[in-house]
Amino acid sequence: MSTEKRETKKVPTYCFQCVSGPDLIKVEVEDGIATRIEPNLNICGQHPGKGTPCVKAYGLVQKTYNPNRVAQPMKRTNPKKGRHEDPGFVPISWDEALDTVADKLKKIREMGLKDNSGYPRLAVSFGGGGTPTRFMGSFPALLAAWGPADLGFGAGQGVKCYHSEHLYGELWQRAFTLAVDSPYCEYVINCGNNVDASGGATGVRRGAEARRRGLKRVMVEPHLSVTGAMSAEWVPIKPKTDAAFLYAVIHRIIQERGWAEVCDVRFLKEDTTSPYLVGPNGYYLREPETEKPLIWDLADGRAKPFDANIEDAALDGRYTVTGLELGADDEVWRHESVEVKPAFQMLLDHMAAYTPEWAEGECDVPAETIRRVGDEFVAHARVGETIEIEGETLPLRPVGVMLGKSVNNGPGGYHAVWARTLLSVLVGAIEVPGANLGTKVRLNRPANNKHLSAVSSRDGIMDFPFNDTSKDGWASQPSIRNGYNTLVPLSSSSPWAPALGPAHLPWLFQKEAPDNWPRPTLPDMWICYRTNPAISSWNAPEVAERIAEFPFTVAFAYTKDETNHMADIILPEATDLESLQLSRIGGTGSGEQFWKHQGWMIRQPVVEPTVDAMDMTDIATELCQRAGFLGAYNMAINKGAAGMKLVSDTFDYGLEGDVAYDRDEIWDRVAKAASHDLSDGEDIHGIDWFKEHGYMLRDFAQREWYLYPYLKERGIRFELPYQERIKRHGIQLANRLHEVGVEWWDKQLKDYDPLPKYESFPDIWTDFVREKGQDPDDFPFWALTARSMQYAWGANVGLPLIYEVAENVAGHSGIILNKGAAERLGIAQNDPVVITSATGVTRGRAVLRHGIRPDTVLMIGQFDHWATPFAKDLNLPSLNSVTDISLSLTDGTGSGSDIVRVSIAKDTAR
Amino acid sequence: MTSRFGMVIDLNSCVGCQTCTIACKHANDTPPGVQWRKVIDVELGQFPNVERLFLVTGCQHCAEPPCVPVCPTGATRQRADGLVTMNYDTCIGCGYCAVACPYQARTIVHEQNFYYGLPTVQEVKTAHHDRIGVANKCTFCIDRVDDGLAQGLTPGVDPDATPACANSCIATAIHFGDFNDPDSAVSQLAAGGRAFQMHEELGTDPQVKYLYGLDNSTPGRAALADDVDEAALQDPGNPLVGQMQTFWDWRAAMNFTLGGMSAGLVILAWLAHVTGGLDQDSLGIFNVIAGLGMAVGLFCVFLEIARKARFLHVLIRPQTSWMTRETYAVALFYPALLADLIWPSEGLHLVLAVSAAAFLYCQARILPAAKGIPAWRAPLMPWMLLATGLLEGAGLLAIAADVLPGAEGAAVMAAGAGGVLAVLNAILWRNYIGAAKANGIGPLARAVLSNLTPGLRIVGHALPLLGFALFLSLFPEQPFVAAIAGLGAVSGGAWWKFTLITKASHQQGFALPKVPQRGSGTRAAPARMGTAV
Repeated sequence: MSTEKRETKKVPTYCFQCVSGPDLIKVEVEDGIATRIEPNLNICGQHPGKGTPCVKAYGLVQKTYNPNRVAQPMKRTNPKKGRHEDPGFVPISWDEALDTVADKLKKIREMGLKDNSGYPRLAVSFGGGGTPTRFMGSFPALLAAWGPADLGFGAGQGVKCYHSEHLYGELWQRAFTLAVDSPYCEYVINCGNNVDASGGATGVRRGAEARRRGLKRVMVEPHLSVTGAMSAEWVPIKPKTDAAFLYAVIHRIIQERGWAEVCDVRFLKEDTTSPYLVGPNGYYLREPETEKPLIWDLADGRAKPFDANIEDAALDGRYTVTGLELGADDEVWRHESVEVKPAFQMLLDHMAAYTPEWAEGECDVPAETIRRVGDEFVAHARVGETIEIEGETLPLRPVGVMLGKSVNNGPGGYHAVWARTLLSVLVGAIEVPGANLGTKVRLNRPANNKHLSAVSSRDGIMDFPFNDTSKDGWASQPSIRNGYNTLVPLSSSSPWAPALGPAHLPWLFQKEAPDNWPRPTLPDMWICYRTNPAISSWNAPEVAERIAEFPFTVAFAYTKDETNHMADIILPEATDLESLQLSRIGGTGSGEQFWKHQGWMIRQPVVEPTVDAMDMTDIATELCQRAGFLGAYNMAINKGAAGMKLVSDTFDYGLEGDVAYDRDEIWDRVAKAASHDLSDGEDIHGIDWFKEHGYMLRDFAQREWYLYPYLKERGIRFELPYQERIKRHGIQLANRLHEVGVEWWDKQLKDYDPLPKYESFPDIWTDFVREKGQDPDDFPFWALTARSMQYAWGANVGLPLIYEVAENVAGHSGIILNKGAAERLGIAQNDPVVITSATGVTRGRAVLRHGIRPDTVLMIGQFDHWATPFAKDLNLPSLNSVTDISLSLTDGTGSGSDIVRVSIAKDTAR
Repeated sequence: MTSRFGMVIDLNSCVGCQTCTIACKHANDTPPGVQWRKVIDVELGQFPNVERLFLVTGCQHCAEPPCVPVCPTGATRQRADGLVTMNYDTCIGCGYCAVACPYQARTIVHEQNFYYGLPTVQEVKTAHHDRIGVANKCTFCIDRVDDGLAQGLTPGVDPDATPACANSCIATAIHFGDFNDPDSAVSQLAAGGRAFQMHEELGTDPQVKYLYGLDNSTPGRAALADDVDEAALQDPGNPLVGQMQTFWDWRAAMNFTLGGMSAGLVILAWLAHVTGGLDQDSLGIFNVIAGLGMAVGLFCVFLEIARKARFLHVLIRPQTSWMTRETYAVALFYPALLADLIWPSEGLHLVLAVSAAAFLYCQARILPAAKGIPAWRAPLMPWMLLATGLLEGAGLLAIAADVLPGAEGAAVMAAGAGGVLAVLNAILWRNYIGAAKANGIGPLARAVLSNLTPGLRIVGHALPLLGFALFLSLFPEQPFVAAIAGLGAVSGGAWWKFTLITKASHQQGFALPKVPQRGSGTRAAPARMGTAV
């Protein structure tokens, strides 16, 4: 045993490689060399993950010293671009690289920021989940100073995210993503949300604590994921039929068990739009004078405005009422004594046909299982019970419903998210202790407080920043190439909206221009950072071809990869352990980031860059200076583009106009402003203090986790079950699009259904095979993907250390097939197999398991690399190589699903 | 009271994320492919009744560690507080501890290698040259524990005194502490009655205990017959299945083969001599032949040792290690052989025969002490190795009696003993194979042994028996008949021992006598209608 004692220091910093971070870590440094990562247990008492990072953080040392790193700036010498073209990269100086990019930026400014199609000439793509902003220093200030840029070229967004949840979640409960309130929850129905692989260290810890406390989770998914493994029950459902399952659970609760017996009737009446009366045209019946939606009061047998003193709101029945309906495009119907129904009665009628027996036929789950799940759900809902949180009595509803990726995006996503939210609402289990909680907002503002946007609309529900669909307000000219503001009212117009539009459309339209739509143009310059769309997008091989068409690509690069293979300029930025940034921490956030503290943390240069790399902040400053908009850049930082405004009523740490500040000076001012703000001026620290201490916190009330008390205070109702606004926007959007001759979005318009009707969603993918001129019978399997905690978002496929440990988790070495099905095909463990879809092919080794439906195959993560060093030699398959980008597979929110029909055969080519 | 450190691992908490695996790799600087802490991804049952779980594996720091007594050098020891330790400066890399471990906890890296081929500066900084060519395993982060204790910290409570895997676990699945402290977290957790020790039946008393049941959500259940059926145990991709060990190869097999038959020859030749069938000169020749055979076998096993310059360390642990004792038998044998050649005497003949018998006996005890290899640790194994060594000796004697002038007289002795021994070997083999499954030998190893059996029965059992019988009954004047029988005896013995060591030596797999009740279909947790939590 070696007993040699080494002189070391341990440097605090953070890992935010995935959206479920941050994870605070310490890096052990010996003689200037980073040697080891360990948890930062100093923050054990405050961090909801007790200061432990997940497996990915431990890859950062190897990432730093990866010999395959891009060692210096490079430029392309081969003008031809393509997978099979040698880019001919040659090293250049930073001066030449920065000048080349800055000159190009200057030229673009001279030409005008938008091109003839009205699209920004500059396009920028970042990796998913917003995590790149935790690494890009002050680069957002460059974008803010620049002006219009197209941030809508997707790297997989839409198909890889919780897309319908993002949009409808924010609409209904200010939930860009959702989590269950694990510390109190008792029972969870989870349709494919692989939280034990995707929830980060915090999600895993809180989940494990909940199980030890007694949480029972039923996992409904086609393959037995990591999360399914950790659940009390796995229900192997047919892919993409989750909405049918949930509809039948709702049917069980409201029809068979009887809503009046088991639901939270008080909540439905007082805190939701369930009692709102719906007129014959499908819009709320409103009081003629005030245009307020009406509710039937059973106490005195008359209709009253929703905010009147209503003693006993009617949820069911039919009532004869006078009022008006406000339809689409200012259409108004005035009714005298018309028969109307409460929205809840509409729901009862709507759900009557969705019996467990019906669902069994759709989703291959026994009706008795569906009934039992429904019964368990209501049994654990504890309707009527309360809990005291920080001295305040709140409802306790310890049941949750979670939806996974590909369940809540693409066709059927709206249905699943609606059903999920409705299940919560039926028992009052929404935004209260134990229930489903929103984590944060991205579409609503302000971004750092999910409650402040919860203001009442005139209808007594949460207002929402829909993109206008009225005749006068509709954006007939898309602001960027994915057309989010034109096509998707729900995507809003926040800084996040471009990425939450149909982010795949630019690639699709670049190949084939749609009718009656601004001519798709190539951006004059495309910048990509911490993203690899040529691997991570659906139909990645084709996206690589589109990228190759771009005239000028600037890639921030860590190693060569499939996207920067097409780059003109490669800029190696100082990576995770080499660069400086201050970042927000605490409050509530993705995964299960529910803190009782909030504040700031530092990511700092633990070691000097091992290659000729520059810090992103210095790169941004240099580019702005060389391109002539340094003043605007500094002003953007002053306004908060680096995460914290530097000037307020009480402090001024602002940057001067045209002075180029170095990295440490900029972050020193951010540090002072942040600590000033956090401590109300009591405890102001510069960046050196953060370098030593790592983070700074103040208290954050647990009450802030829950939206319900805020809505209650403000008299706002949850907008469930009936979707009047969706219906209106759908009709108006259809009108607008048809007015300009756009008919290729008609299929998507069907989603604007106030009570979403189930359709057999799997057929969409079967029909797509026919659309491609092939026989669905030739593609008898469903291919899916699943999250790899070891890899997701880490850009760490080039790290053999990660590969080594990931191999311990089944599926990381190939394609998971059902053992019985494989045996019938004559495929043995580890056999090379080829997976073929109507549009693509991928190859890998067979991993035979019992925990997957016989009609399903699974490819974990995203691989099939052909340029990334180390990864390209792994010969791992990827679902992205066999999926296709198509309007036929796109839903109304502009998203798709990671699912495709495939065939499987032994790979005789190997 | 002395501490007894150990771990409690919660199967209902571990999500298989490998954070402990990689944190251990960081904390202990293990090289590529070496994982002292590893979490395997297990499936039980078949679709649609399946359970998946994650099993944290690694050194169990057994209270009765099978690796410690076998170690010939004392490099592996057990401290008073239960930690099973490694001294890299003493270990010779013989691999005996590795085959003795039923938990696949040990590795031997023979040359420094790096993740990208050439070392990174970090790998240079964290390289441990002292760990090359010696046995490695989880130490429970012994330095952290000791440093922490020296600072007055409590292992399992204070992170600075707690192993890296427990500190890093994001699910609070790994708990470390003192089982001798009834108030420690590990004692409290294990006391709940929902913990099992893996391979309890082997008597190792592991100090890693697995929690398997949660009353309110996933109560524990006993293993079901079809959790891991024969098909699952035949699947080399199943992480529960032990793979072929790589620590002992043909070089070790050569020692067991040549050493066993040589010792048998010395014993049988001496018996022939004392019963008047062999003169002193011929006995001397036979002993020299045996000495040469044994030397070749020993040289082969010397080649197997990773740290050859330290080979004399093998003499350090005669108290417990049969490998050390075998070496002492060798140390007695060769001087006795030399002395007997120079000063032949009945006394020295006897000493030589006794030392050969001691050598054979030690060999017969070496393999069964390897508790990590089910095919080796079977109860009949010592008897089989003894009986085969003697049968081989009889076989060699019969061959020699045919080919060496003046040794004809030994043929009767050889045939008589050989016939009896052939029968004994056949019975032992039949019983060994018959009890293989019951003795925990998995289907992969059983298949190897089954494939061997028909040939072995013909060549190693029937041919010697028939040949010796025919020689004794019908063809007493035809010693070649006995020689052919002897050839069968030698071939059969060598065949099965070689096969056993190089082809049927699958490591003990992992087993789960109790598991959380969860999964799909019949394995799902029971319905729960609002039971209070």
